[in-house]
Amino acid sequence: MAGTTIEGRDDHLRAAEGALVRIDDVIAGYFPGVNILNGCDLYAQSGELVGIIGPNGAGKSTLLKSLFGLVKVRSGKVTFDDKNITNKRADKLVSMGIGFVPQNNNVFPSLTIEENLQMGAFQEPKAFHSRFDEVADLFPALAQRRKQRAGSLSGGERQMVAMARALMMEPKVLLLDEPSAGLSPALTDEAFVRVKAINKTGVTVIMVEQNARRCLQICDRAYVLDQGRNAYTGTGKALANDPKVVELYLGTLAKA
Amino acid sequence: MRRLLLGISAVALALWALLVGGAPAMAADTTIGGVIKSDQEAVPGVTVNVSDETGFVENAISDEKGRWRVVVPQAGTYTVLIETDTLPPGVSLRDPDRTSVEVTVGEGQTKSVLFPTGDAPVSSTSKLDQALQLTVDGFIFGLTIALAAVGLSLIFGTTGLTNFSHGELVTFGSLMAYFFSAIMGLPFIVAAAAAVFAGGLFGFLQDRFFWRWLRKRGTALIAMLVVSIGLGIFLRYFYLFIFGGNTRQYAEYSGQAGLVLGPIVVTPKALVGAIVAVVFLAATVAWLRFTRMGKASRAIADNPALASASGIDVNRVISIIWAAGAGLAALAGVIYSLSNGVSWISGFGLLLLIFAGVTLGGLGTAIGAIVGSIIVGTMIQLSTLLIPSELKNVGALAVLIIILMIRPQGILGRSERVG
Ligand SMILES: Nc1ncnc2c1ncn2[C@@H]1O[C@H](COP(=O)(O)OP(=O)(O)OP(=O)(O)O)[C@@H](O)[C@H]1O
Ligand SMILES: [Mg+2]
Repeated sequence: MAGTTIEGRDDHLRAAEGALVRIDDVIAGYFPGVNILNGCDLYAQSGELVGIIGPNGAGKSTLLKSLFGLVKVRSGKVTFDDKNITNKRADKLVSMGIGFVPQNNNVFPSLTIEENLQMGAFQEPKAFHSRFDEVADLFPALAQRRKQRAGSLSGGERQMVAMARALMMEPKVLLLDEPSAGLSPALTDEAFVRVKAINKTGVTVIMVEQNARRCLQICDRAYVLDQGRNAYTGTGKALANDPKVVELYLGTLAKA
Repeated sequence: MRRLLLGISAVALALWALLVGGAPAMAADTTIGGVIKSDQEAVPGVTVNVSDETGFVENAISDEKGRWRVVVPQAGTYTVLIETDTLPPGVSLRDPDRTSVEVTVGEGQTKSVLFPTGDAPVSSTSKLDQALQLTVDGFIFGLTIALAAVGLSLIFGTTGLTNFSHGELVTFGSLMAYFFSAIMGLPFIVAAAAAVFAGGLFGFLQDRFFWRWLRKRGTALIAMLVVSIGLGIFLRYFYLFIFGGNTRQYAEYSGQAGLVLGPIVVTPKALVGAIVAVVFLAATVAWLRFTRMGKASRAIADNPALASASGIDVNRVISIIWAAGAGLAALAGVIYSLSNGVSWISGFGLLLLIFAGVTLGGLGTAIGAIVGSIIVGTMIQLSTLLIPSELKNVGALAVLIIILMIRPQGILGRSERVG
């Protein structure tokens, strides 16, 4: 059973009907016998912007990775577009329309910016040039420096390359692991605006964020993950005002 | 990670260098032997005398192939003397004073002793011409090493495997070329192409049914390194079992006269081999740099999980890399054996130099492996100006150590931005 949820698990399951992405009661981990996820539920309806917040080590990154075939799911089910994608290989998921930006090591350092984006369009090399122009509109800084090696970029610039790379295949769902990590406050705002803009174009976004308060402001819905279970779920606004969530995960000072 | 692997390969190389000194003792007999030749022609009927301090004396007479052989009672030091008055008219020792040689032979070993005949090229050429000749020889040799080194480096880069059985892929190429030409009777050029293709197929199958399986099980890199040493030994003795311990020449192009280009003499086959090597090396570099698959393999070398997350079928690219790397190694084997003969152990003998080339150039970069190998090859040949040629591989190792002390990341390796 999933942990306490605001709506209760049954309500949650009902709301998950027909969702584009569904994770049902997933147990997953890295080392044999050690589960990091202990029965997680999550769904995202088409076009939604879903946030995942929670303390360090809660398993947020692991949840995204198990959805994307990079961590082995031991039991439970992952569904995308009504197809069972549990433990499917990441490159197959890319061709189905899922994009992923990992938290760390999210660029190919010895490749140029342009080559990084080419790798994003690996499965559709013909579409590269038109996609590159579209993505360059979103990240004008990248187009000017296309021949620069990604290994020499700053953390924020790498984030941009990584997100642009994931967008090259026009995914239906974009999985973002901490898109604002390591960014200055001004750039953090910019990153959130960009995520919102990508979501507005119809891309479903599932986003893990450390910056919980800002995340809840822009999300349609969010999950609070704790010790491998989703402890709370609800609309961004409801969670931001829920006294328990505020006390445990947002800090008491933060009553807005 | 890189540093760790560098350390491991250094230690493993050192162990290997120790091991290779005591080459496998297959024959139970302890023997001393050699071949007497003059201008590539065998010289029969020459008497060679082997003796030691305990009173053991035995004579041998060279046969129609110029070969002579003496079985000695035990390991020890022997004096080998050539009876110069049995040399046919017109044939004389290159160094008339060197009629006897002291050799030490180990239990079960075969020690070969050569008595070079004819005019010494050394005496007629200046040091400068000699250095020029050695540079050219070394450069050509380096190109051969580079063919093998590129494959080693690509496989290391994409899978992390330090493959100590890479030398056996080189040997495989020469054995296949011998099989297709001498046994199937195909013209050498066709046999060579078939051998390279067979080598690629061998690499592909090795990865598909062996290495991929180990990777999937999450086998640690050090364990895989040890496995590769075992696989190398297995293949080596399998080759010995099938092919025997002799070094054999191809029927075609065997005793080719050298082309004289100014002060330099090069055999046409060495020249053609070098040109083929350059073409294949250039094609490999261009492939890595400009093609989609080449870029994907560099992406995998950077970060396999991210490559997979970008939509790259990582295992498929690794299969291609294995096939290409093994094919290039086979080509190296064919070119090497064209001048040095086909033997079960030739690839193993080159392994140290291949590793030296890869490490010198900077682990995991293809151009680095090529540049490193050419430096190693040239250094080895040039070092014979100063040190006895028996020690030339040691000279290469010394160069490797010195360069790595100055540039730990290799000549072309880049130190990554940290943080
Ligand atoms: N590659 C891995 N191998 C083994 N254990 C891992 C690995 N990645 C994460 N873990 C473990 O899984 C647990 C959850 O990690 P995860 O990265 O999912 O947390 P997170 O919620 O994303 O934390 P953060 O907010 O710090 O990014 C941690 O205890 C961590 O030690
Ligand atoms: Mg994380």
